[in-house]
Amino acid sequence: MAKGRILVVDDAAFMRMFLKNILTEGGYEVVGEAANGKEAIEKYKELKPDLVTMDITMPEMDGIQAIREIKKSFPDANIIVCSAMGQQAMVIESIQAGAKDFIVKPFQQSRVIEAVTKVLSS
Amino acid sequence: MDDMSRYIDVFVDETKEHLQNMNGSLLKLEKEPDNPEYINEVFRSAHTVKGMAGSMGFTRIAELTHRVESVFSLIRDNRLGVNSDLIDIVFEALDLIGSALENIADYGEEGDIDVSETIGKLQTILSLTPSEVSSQEELLPSTSKKEYSLEKVDFELNQFDKQVALEALDRGFNVFKLRIRLEKGTVLKSARAYLVFNKIEENKGEILKSIPSVEDIESEKFKDSFSLLITIKMPLEKVKKSLLSISEIEEVEILEVKKEMLLEEAKKTQKKEERKVEESKGVSEKVEKHKVSQTVRVNIEKLDTLMNLMGELVINRSRIDEITKKYEIKDVDESLSQLTRITLDLQNVVMKIRMVPVDYVFSRFPRVVRDLQRKLNKEVNFVIEGKETELDRTVVDEIGDPLLHLIRNAIGHGIEPAEERIRKGKSPKGLLKLMARHEGNNVIIEVQDDGRGMDVEKIREKAIKMKLISESAAMQLSESEILNFIFVPGFSTSEGADQISGRGVGMDVVKDKIESLSGSVEIETAKDKGTTVRIKLPLTLAIIQALMVTLNGYKYAIPLANVDSTLTIKSEDIRKIQEQEVIVVRGEVLPIVHLARVLGIPEKNEEVKEFSVVLVRVGMKKIGIVVDELLGQMDIVIKSLGKLIKGVKEISGASILGDGSIALIVDTTSIAS
Repeated sequence: MAKGRILVVDDAAFMRMFLKNILTEGGYEVVGEAANGKEAIEKYKELKPDLVTMDITMPEMDGIQAIREIKKSFPDANIIVCSAMGQQAMVIESIQAGAKDFIVKPFQQSRVIEAVTKVLSS
Repeated sequence: MDDMSRYIDVFVDETKEHLQNMNGSLLKLEKEPDNPEYINEVFRSAHTVKGMAGSMGFTRIAELTHRVESVFSLIRDNRLGVNSDLIDIVFEALDLIGSALENIADYGEEGDIDVSETIGKLQTILSLTPSEVSSQEELLPSTSKKEYSLEKVDFELNQFDKQVALEALDRGFNVFKLRIRLEKGTVLKSARAYLVFNKIEENKGEILKSIPSVEDIESEKFKDSFSLLITIKMPLEKVKKSLLSISEIEEVEILEVKKEMLLEEAKKTQKKEERKVEESKGVSEKVEKHKVSQTVRVNIEKLDTLMNLMGELVINRSRIDEITKKYEIKDVDESLSQLTRITLDLQNVVMKIRMVPVDYVFSRFPRVVRDLQRKLNKEVNFVIEGKETELDRTVVDEIGDPLLHLIRNAIGHGIEPAEERIRKGKSPKGLLKLMARHEGNNVIIEVQDDGRGMDVEKIREKAIKMKLISESAAMQLSESEILNFIFVPGFSTSEGADQISGRGVGMDVVKDKIESLSGSVEIETAKDKGTTVRIKLPLTLAIIQALMVTLNGYKYAIPLANVDSTLTIKSEDIRKIQEQEVIVVRGEVLPIVHLARVLGIPEKNEEVKEFSVVLVRVGMKKIGIVVDELLGQMDIVIKSLGKLIKGVKEISGASILGDGSIALIVDTTSIAS
């Protein structure tokens, strides 16, 4: 039994694969992937995952907007934003939008798992 | 996570796409230096590649993209302007990333690429621009609070703060001193701190004071820990637990502040306190329309296998077809014709899967043209048409180099410098067109320039000088025949090899390459009007149309692309010129060869009065191939002969026919030579 059902959102397939492996190895189940904000919203409605990892910079609709949209319909959604160094302002904006935590690229397995575990257990 | 090799394929593929994207956007940006769309495009791609490379541990790529990203972040914020020199440097960085990527694709590591110079150049750009976001680590105030025990942490409360705290205590709130320590190596510390603030507010708490100040925390002017004075209803243990639920928080120390302590503090010196809440500089990302197409990456080998199986299916269907006809089984007929239709559809689909747009190679040329323009100081308007035209992936992979050569030729030799063009009454800017289109079962690619054209007389002279042809014969050749001489190895009318197009592959190599792909090359030129090189390529190499012939009872296939015509001749029509058998067709003297003799197959014993001859055209040469019988035209699936009989030059492959028999495919090029 997986510890949680996760939706991975990132425009780079590489990053999705990378996160997916980290999460799977950490005992979580990645139930879906999305390549932009719009897809993320659709997938969220469809899958109702326990947690979402959301990249910020994405084409079509960015992560922050997607967080706002998801939070509008699902105030309890657990969302962790994925950012890179130097995106401080955007991370804060996404926390304001409702993200529960953030992880920073390049990802370290232990930190990703820590963030996911903590968000899901709180 | 040690085994990163499993990510390499997708890393390489995606990074390649981003590189192409950045290259394209840079070119457009050079023309419209203010267009935010292109700036964002480069920024975003660099950002994504940086993240991926960092995860993979490819430091050179990560370092380069990090700089490119920073440079474009400055450009985006209007703090740096775009000019060609800057674009040159960014291109340089992209090229290095490209080479590193090739090494990664081949050996799994970046290889020994020296990036320091380029990084230095990018760094210079960055350091020349007044920066707001310099590295915070070094700027940390040396006075950053040493590890006092929490009791001693002095929040330097003013009268108002104390009033608030006391009131809170009276209303049943707790007042806590907190010290939060982040894990070592935490990045984006201020965002982490923000999460803490957020959590406290979520729990209906209020932050009275912080050390360092909120502004300093927001601009990351703290090491690993910060202290807070808060009022909150929640009991101590719960506050601690809720704060520890944030990741990368190593430790939360909490101390309850009692009324007496506050009153005592009141005696201490009061200091003024300003508390400006700096607005977070939200950089609004422009949402771009960028359609993510739904694709699956498939190894080309799998497609080859699929194509092979497809071929087998076609063959076996034909066998059933023949058996049905032989035994006249009517009932099978209908389902067989269904099967025929389905296999044909399937064959089409499989062929289409292998097709990629020529843009796959075309997209690298704008960059080449731009670099050449700058190097040669020529102005060229480069136009690409029909980049969506699709072609077999294997063919597309092969045409890059020949096209590159043609483009270099066009700019290096074809298009004149601006002054010369003005003198000739042309527009100072040259026109170079790269066009692709479908024509029947072929794809035509043209490289067209409006430059000085080729001087036919000069080529004629040179051909005579090189003793390729006698003077008298040369005078009889038509212009287009003369033009064919430029395909002779080592033939060049320009004096000495220049850096741009004298080196590398010559036209002969272009032609060889195209012909090895079963294509052909034609040239059209007019003095001072320009030159057009037309390349004709088959849509696919896996299935070809062939003329089937027999030799001593066995079937052979001659690729239809090379066949000019067929005819029947009588034995008395054959004449001999210097031991070479020739025939005269429509006034042309053509050499003939007996395929059986070439292949070393016993010929028919009986005296033959009439011969079937297949006229094939190979380059400028036309020869007649004598065979026993002509069977007709057919689509055949090419199979390689395998390593054992690879050495046989006259045979290029084999095909399995409907009746299960094998037909060898004749290599007309080697027979003609």
